[in-house]
Amino acid sequence: MAALVLFGAGVACAEDQQLDAATKARIDKYEQGPATVDVSQYPQVIQDNYEVFSQKCTQCHKLSRPINSDYALPDEWSRYVKRMMHKPGSGIDGSDGKKIYEFLVYDSSVRKKAMLDDKLAKLSAEDKAAAEAKVKEVHDKYDRK
Amino acid sequence: MSDESKSSRPPAADSEPTASRSTLPVWIMVLTLVLLFLGAVYFDRHSGWFNRQVYAPYTSADQLAASQPRSGAASALAQGRKIYENACGVCHGNDGLGKPGQAPPLAGSEWVAKDVVSLARVPLAGLNGPIQVKGRDWNLAMAPMGAGMSDADLAAVLTCIRQSWGNTGGVVAADEIKAARAAINGQAPTPAQLAQMTPVERGRAVFQKYGCYQCHGQDAKGGVANPNAKTAEQVPSLIYVADGYTREELITFIKKGERDIPRMNPAGPEPPHFMPKWGPVIQDAELDDLATYLFSLKPKGENVGF
Repeated sequence: MAALVLFGAGVACAEDQQLDAATKARIDKYEQGPATVDVSQYPQVIQDNYEVFSQKCTQCHKLSRPINSDYALPDEWSRYVKRMMHKPGSGIDGSDGKKIYEFLVYDSSVRKKAMLDDKLAKLSAEDKAAAEAKVKEVHDKYDRK
Repeated sequence: MSDESKSSRPPAADSEPTASRSTLPVWIMVLTLVLLFLGAVYFDRHSGWFNRQVYAPYTSADQLAASQPRSGAASALAQGRKIYENACGVCHGNDGLGKPGQAPPLAGSEWVAKDVVSLARVPLAGLNGPIQVKGRDWNLAMAPMGAGMSDADLAAVLTCIRQSWGNTGGVVAADEIKAARAAINGQAPTPAQLAQMTPVERGRAVFQKYGCYQCHGQDAKGGVANPNAKTAEQVPSLIYVADGYTREELITFIKKGERDIPRMNPAGPEPPHFMPKWGPVIQDAELDDLATYLFSLKPKGENVGF
């Protein structure tokens, strides 16, 4: 009887465990990385945006997840931030979203430069120019002259 | 033996050792019996009566044979069972007993004992509570999980449900499902009408057909309450998916679904609603139209500036 009960419990657990294994492995890998970014060399506004990013994003997931993820292109960040922002109860409004987006684009162009260049190289000429323009826009706005 | 004779004996150290006839301790006898009993139980469960083709968890050749695919009615039942475990069992339980807060039981349910059209209406059109099942109130929503199944598949699933876990209903034929579908989907567009529609209109028909509105709302602006879901305890709106997903990401998400909904209070109960795995249900061409429809929902002129 005990064996039957244990067997039943095992089946129930297996049923509930329906997380997509590949996605889970990907997230786990990111979350094991560093959980902070050294922003001391970034412009002041980007440092402030980093604070917004740390505060808002940790409501639902570890900060190490976006920090170590393989997103680097402006469009990838725009999509990801908007996806999170539009979740009911996210507490992220349009202006917060923009701050987070600007921080992530700036950070990716510095800390993840190799990854960003690699991704840019794979784009069509048109998309590459558009992506570079978006990165440049953030730098022009905040870099010390 | 008197006291005198005992006291007149020589000291014990010099005497010959004698065998005592004391009885076996009771605990050894009990232990032996228990071990024998457990051994017999184990033997009974696992031996398959010396048939080397039988192994755990099967206990007899008959049982093993019963789980093999067969021709005709038996294979339809096995097929129904398989689809059931994939599509229905997650909530209703592979034992048909239902799960609190997720789905009512099917074993012994009066809903299962109804006529075929009434029974088929549930997977074909979905069902919104409150309802009563076996004298208890259930206030949940079920998506039309069977709307995308073939007539034969849905007939097999319903046959499986009607004949499992002590239920004693008859076999459901594919033709009966066809008739039920016609009775229920009276207003659904015909193939000829669909051919005339734009992708957005076809996508809206898909949204209706599979009952997406049951959770996400008729206008897809978000919908029913989902207690203890991290997303403000409600099923999310879909009108901004154009911002957050590429077409491929969106279609992949719909196909995979999301079984584990993050909880608002981690110690609280599991939110009752989750995104089902639609991949096996909605056709690829339909998914494409659905994505086009969902992308069209983004409010015009809204721009957050990034």
